[in-house]
Amino acid sequence: MNDSVSRNTFLRLAGGAAVLLLTKTFARSAGNEVTRDMILADPEAPIGGNPDGDLAIVDFFDYNCPFCKKSATHLERLVKTDGRIKLIYKDWPILTETSIVGAQLALGAKYQGKYLEAHRALMNIPGYGISREQMIDAVRKSGIDLARLDADVQSNADAIGGLIKRNLTIAEAIGLQGTPGFLIGPYKVNEALTYEGFQHVVADARARQRN
Amino acid sequence: MAYARAIRFVTLFLLAFWLVPAFAAGPKLADQVFRLGVTLGEDEELDFNWSIEPGYYLYRDKLAASLGGKPLKLTTAQGELKDDPNFGPTEVYHREASAYIEAVPAKGEVLVTFQGCGENTICYPPVTKAIDLATLAVSDATGRAERPHDSSSAETGGPSGFHAAGAASDNGADASGLDGSYISTLLTFFGFGFLLAFTPCMFPMLPILSGMLTQSAGRLSLARGFALSASYVLAMASAYGVLGIFAAWFGGNLQAALQTPVAVTLMSAVFVVLALSMFGLYELQLPQSLNAKLVPRNGESGSIGGAALLGFTSALIVGPCVTPPLAAALVYVAQTGNALRGSSALFMLGLGMGLPLLLLGTFGATVLPKSGAWLFRIKQVFGVILIGVALWMMSRILPLPLIATGWSVLAAGTGAWIALIAVNQPEPVWRLRQVPVVAASAALVVYGLFLAGGAIAGWYEPLRSLAWAGIAPSVGTWHQGEDGFQIVTNETDLDEAIAAGRAEGRPILVDFSADWCTECRLMERTVLADEIVRRRLNGVRLIRADVTRYDAQSRNIMRRFAVVGPPTLIFLNPMGTEVESARTVGATVADDFLAKIAAAERG
Repeated sequence: MNDSVSRNTFLRLAGGAAVLLLTKTFARSAGNEVTRDMILADPEAPIGGNPDGDLAIVDFFDYNCPFCKKSATHLERLVKTDGRIKLIYKDWPILTETSIVGAQLALGAKYQGKYLEAHRALMNIPGYGISREQMIDAVRKSGIDLARLDADVQSNADAIGGLIKRNLTIAEAIGLQGTPGFLIGPYKVNEALTYEGFQHVVADARARQRN
Repeated sequence: MAYARAIRFVTLFLLAFWLVPAFAAGPKLADQVFRLGVTLGEDEELDFNWSIEPGYYLYRDKLAASLGGKPLKLTTAQGELKDDPNFGPTEVYHREASAYIEAVPAKGEVLVTFQGCGENTICYPPVTKAIDLATLAVSDATGRAERPHDSSSAETGGPSGFHAAGAASDNGADASGLDGSYISTLLTFFGFGFLLAFTPCMFPMLPILSGMLTQSAGRLSLARGFALSASYVLAMASAYGVLGIFAAWFGGNLQAALQTPVAVTLMSAVFVVLALSMFGLYELQLPQSLNAKLVPRNGESGSIGGAALLGFTSALIVGPCVTPPLAAALVYVAQTGNALRGSSALFMLGLGMGLPLLLLGTFGATVLPKSGAWLFRIKQVFGVILIGVALWMMSRILPLPLIATGWSVLAAGTGAWIALIAVNQPEPVWRLRQVPVVAASAALVVYGLFLAGGAIAGWYEPLRSLAWAGIAPSVGTWHQGEDGFQIVTNETDLDEAIAAGRAEGRPILVDFSADWCTECRLMERTVLADEIVRRRLNGVRLIRADVTRYDAQSRNIMRRFAVVGPPTLIFLNPMGTEVESARTVGATVADDFLAKIAAAERG
């Protein structure tokens, strides 16, 4: 165990960095085949930005992840100013018990057409370790009908659970280690970025798509 | 191989399109960032110890343990307060964390769960490890413990191999020199040390050892020379070993920590005391008991001890250079807490560094003049050099005009003294061979006056006045930021400088440097002054983090970027994230540095 630390350290010190050129292959995870469509065109997954945009960004996040929240404001701003980005939301509740509550609330709000309202309300609670009550409170204040939300979550439990499970599977297959994770065109970014950071990667992704 | 498995996981996806990590380094696996060690304490308590990568932290309230499904009481230490906008301060652990469980059964399996984040980058899902109480073996149990989505009613539990890639931390190949067999590690570091002996770091050691040997040169035999040098070198190597233990305990660099005014002043005082004794003034200055301890006399037992004392302190205070092997070993020790392996590697590094000194001390001593006026003169020369070393060290802490005055007095005084000796010859005959003596004396006096003038006028560049002749490096120039570097000494200024670079969309070079770092001076006048390098750095924002004073401010800056000590050069991309492959630790050459610039531009 200890040995790999020193190896990492040495690699960093020695400046060794391998660039992996990846080959086309299929990933299987727990019997579920992960396909490109599952990531980019899951009909259940909420969409933001420009649905016909030339670049897709897939956002894996958790409502208890402080850096996701900071990063999300930058990303939303870029999506707005850019105008040609399709943003795909992948609720990925992995951090704490209440993360799953947040994901259910947001995905349940979709059935009254208010996913983004719920999502933003939840992302606007800063920090980590958000309680169930705080989440429900924030969602209520965003103008969502809680009674209907409760009923929707109950009656669509399978669909919501299935979507979350697919998101978990995808995140595993693409090797995300934690939150936040982004797929920006062909790039995988597994850390919170600033506005400039998103700009940079988006520009690179577009350049690569053209080639 | 596990490493290959991790890569395969990353590679796996790519269903119909290319997926490339946007940053060469990518995120670290949770298992690489948080390393758990388990031991059984004296009172049969189960001790947990996490070593945490710099820049990452564990949440105190996320540490939990259970046995057979029942929660166990896990006693944790006070953490550092971290402001959470939601809850107010939460407690987190940086660098290391520990906890214990009292009175555990002899058999069974304890599950321990922990969770943390990388500052501003990533938050990891909870990690669960299983500890077999009979063997204390730690195995990955993530997916077996109750996990948030497993317990939810929405049946969102992921497959148990959910982040199986996280378990693949056993990175295959052996590259650091700290892996592999113990013996080969030691030999490797001995070799590194030998190579390092020929760097400027070691230069200040030469007059110290030579001066010490000259003290007893009257009857210095081969064996005596060897014994004295060996004790000096062994003590020096031990000092490096102690560095390792210090790093393991405190996660810091003892050498840098010792750059306090008190330590530097004390060491300088030791050199002045030695120098005075070289001038024959010693017996008049100090009581005999102290004399015997401080100034080794031939045949006395104190001399070996004195040599050892000098060797030990010199290594820590005189030559605090950071080199890649030293940094690698220190980081290794600090992260793994494996003090034995790291310290013995550092000890061997010190031995290797001392080998040329040992040879010089053993064989050089025998060719030193045996007695007579020559010996007297040589002692005086070393006396002057030792005072010079003392002044050079004091320049780390004293204001420059004072140091300038010191140098001017030393130079003018030495010149005057040489003149005095020449004049006081029994038969003051002016022969041709005295011309250089007179010239040297005159030059020293003039140089001394020149420096004194400079000190009074408020400008001071002690060696720069000689720089035109190519004799001396131009030092001290960067205080004005003349070479395009913006000097920062605290985190706030650094953040502002980085923000300015980001606003311009330029990559950023942060050069960790210190007044006392000889390697840094060398790099500034070679690598960083190189014309091609300068041209390539045109579009880069240049920041110099001055860590001369090892205070809380500079420690914060160094900790933030996991810098062990100067010289270290790191590149940040326009987003403010470090391009890890472009980091330079220790002295480098222009070609290598150009390659780093190229890596930084790619990153």
